[in-house]
Amino acid sequence: GNDVTPQVLYQADPAAVQAKASRFFMDEISAGGSASDQTTTTGSFTMPFSRYHSITPFLFFCSLSDVQGKRDAMKELVTEDMLKEVIEVYISETDSISLLDIPSTFVSVDAHDAEAIIERNNQYAEVCRNRMGNDKYVDRSMQTLNGEAKNKQVQSDSIVMVDTAATVTAWDMYDTYISPEQDETVCVPQAERADYPEVAVDTSRGAEKNMSVGSSTSTGSVASSLKEQEALGNGLNAESELQLIMLSEKFQHLLLVTERSILGNVFQPKLAAYRELPILEDSDIPMKPGTVEQREDTESPRPPAVECLWAFSCELSRGRSVSSMAWNKKYPDLLAVGYGELDSSNQKPGLVCCWSHKNPTWPERVIYCDSAVTSLDFSFNNPSQLAVGMQDGSLVIYNVQSRNQLCVVSSSECTNKHLAPVWQIRWTQQDLSLTGEEKLEALYTVAADGKICKWFICNNGLDCIELMKLKKIHNTKKKSVLSALSPGLCFDFHPRDSSIYLVGTWEGLIHKCSSSNSQQFLETYRKHFCPVNCIIWCPLIPDVFLSCSSDWTIQLWKQDHLNPVLGFSSTQKAVCDIKWSPKCATVFGAVNEGQLEIWDLNSSILDPVIVQPAAPGVKMTSLLFATQTDCVLVGDSDGQVTVYQLKNLSVGKNSQVKLRNR
Amino acid sequence: MLIEETLKRIQSQKGVQGIIIVNSEGIPIKTTLDNSSTVQYAGLIHQLVMKARSTVRDIDPQNDLTFLRVRSKKNEIMIAPDKDYFLIVIQNPSD
Repeated sequence: GNDVTPQVLYQADPAAVQAKASRFFMDEISAGGSASDQTTTTGSFTMPFSRYHSITPFLFFCSLSDVQGKRDAMKELVTEDMLKEVIEVYISETDSISLLDIPSTFVSVDAHDAEAIIERNNQYAEVCRNRMGNDKYVDRSMQTLNGEAKNKQVQSDSIVMVDTAATVTAWDMYDTYISPEQDETVCVPQAERADYPEVAVDTSRGAEKNMSVGSSTSTGSVASSLKEQEALGNGLNAESELQLIMLSEKFQHLLLVTERSILGNVFQPKLAAYRELPILEDSDIPMKPGTVEQREDTESPRPPAVECLWAFSCELSRGRSVSSMAWNKKYPDLLAVGYGELDSSNQKPGLVCCWSHKNPTWPERVIYCDSAVTSLDFSFNNPSQLAVGMQDGSLVIYNVQSRNQLCVVSSSECTNKHLAPVWQIRWTQQDLSLTGEEKLEALYTVAADGKICKWFICNNGLDCIELMKLKKIHNTKKKSVLSALSPGLCFDFHPRDSSIYLVGTWEGLIHKCSSSNSQQFLETYRKHFCPVNCIIWCPLIPDVFLSCSSDWTIQLWKQDHLNPVLGFSSTQKAVCDIKWSPKCATVFGAVNEGQLEIWDLNSSILDPVIVQPAAPGVKMTSLLFATQTDCVLVGDSDGQVTVYQLKNLSVGKNSQVKLRNR
Repeated sequence: MLIEETLKRIQSQKGVQGIIIVNSEGIPIKTTLDNSSTVQYAGLIHQLVMKARSTVRDIDPQNDLTFLRVRSKKNEIMIAPDKDYFLIVIQNPSD
């Protein structure tokens, strides 16, 4: 119903200090905005108003602000001058309020009952006169009737009680301190989406998990992408969420890590063997029936053998022939493999893959090249730079560090570039380092056009200077009209003196040259009568080198002897590649088309110690020793790089026989 | 796409039983297993990841969980968590 509560005429605050009642001053009612926040008003009155007919004008003051507060606020503002100031106070009269107004009726003297009225008036006047001390009139108290009480029911809005709980953790607090910086970017879109439930904001702060719909249980820092998803409304279904996730880079990285973990599980025994760690039996995996537990036979030494650990191969490389392999100089587990058909009938564009043992099924980097890759090498000073030489004579340096690998520089614009396949490419560190610690390194190539070039980067391109021309040395009887240069197939720099290098040529000659003398060879070693495929200095014994050739032989030379010290041949096949073992000075490996041979000069100089035949139909093409472990990598014509572990290779007759655990 | 290829490769690795991608609310959004297993894995592993992450961060708030592997008798569960989602791979290495 209607609101019938009687309005009070004034509000007396009994709690007001009475001492102030005597004071009266007028505040500027318009002063300050403090009028709104005061509930107590102190009224100070000059005099109480009398109940009776005399209604005197009274001064009605109502200080709108708390006296005390006002005084405090004013304390600072009152100065000496202000105190002496004459303040004018204006007092004004309020309107008179009449409480009882019974107007007198006037009767004409000439009216009929005028006499009765006059009589009555006179009686009344006498009564008033006699009132005091008259017996007729007795003072009697009366009780005012209490008015009817009326019940009014009021209903307020129901108070909703909500239980909330929060768990505070150390990282939650840390995130809260960090989040203002991150929230700046989220702030603007958040303001627009104010109508969304607050629940999302609270629970994302790491509060206790709510299982209610729509609550987010993402702990940690405020996820702006989560907010976006929520803000986009419930129309965002799982499909688009999935798309968002799939596109993120972080997901790519997570997939990479997961793939490596899975492969780690799959290849664990092989990788442990590679690292020469003991292979633990997994007690959870049930032993398949039929396997015989092989115990180590400690009594009789077992013959040397190779065990195949795994093979780097993927569908990209299948069918291509491995032409060269190189280890990274800084990370000895990163392997670069160049693929290219060496017979010119099949002109497939080349491919370079960088493999890591962490993932033997897919290369870390894949680089497509314009033409078949014939050789490659990693740089010393910039370990992420890979120089690749190709069949069309061009030389390209790639940077393998980033996923979107870019070709750093190419030799296609160089005028002096090779016009024939680059058979070998090598970065060499030079000994002279007058300034600072970093050794200078230079890039050398030898190509089928008979030139050895030294390359350097200038003006965003490669340029080269010719180091040597491989002139044909022929007898005076024959006069060759065609070309005076003989194709160079391989070269190697002396491990200690980088200005001396050996070059193997198509004619079977090996020349020793110096980088300071570009006109003449220092020495020529003659023995082979077919193209020399590979030359390699021994890293452990000074001045000894090996050469292998298509004439089925391997020759061991000493630098100052013009005739080979030893010659080896085992099969009637061209020997494609040859490498010294980095650990043992008498061991070297050789690959001819049909098999892998490991020779140990300590045991036998007539036969290889280990022979591993190639898989049928596949030719082995290149060889590389692992630097840290006793493993050998063999590349073949099917694009596979197989890792073999050398077992039971005795190091010298007198030393202990190394036995390996199964 | 690179990610699609990687997922296919993972799926074809030896012993991989299933891959599940779960969003931050614990709802699986992509899976190669059947529905009931997926829901079960998602719900249980979600709680485990939250607990693991909370543990790591309590010790050092600047640290965060990057990978979680649970090796059991029969298989191994690998969980790669991120802010908004996590990836679960179940592998049985002896297959």
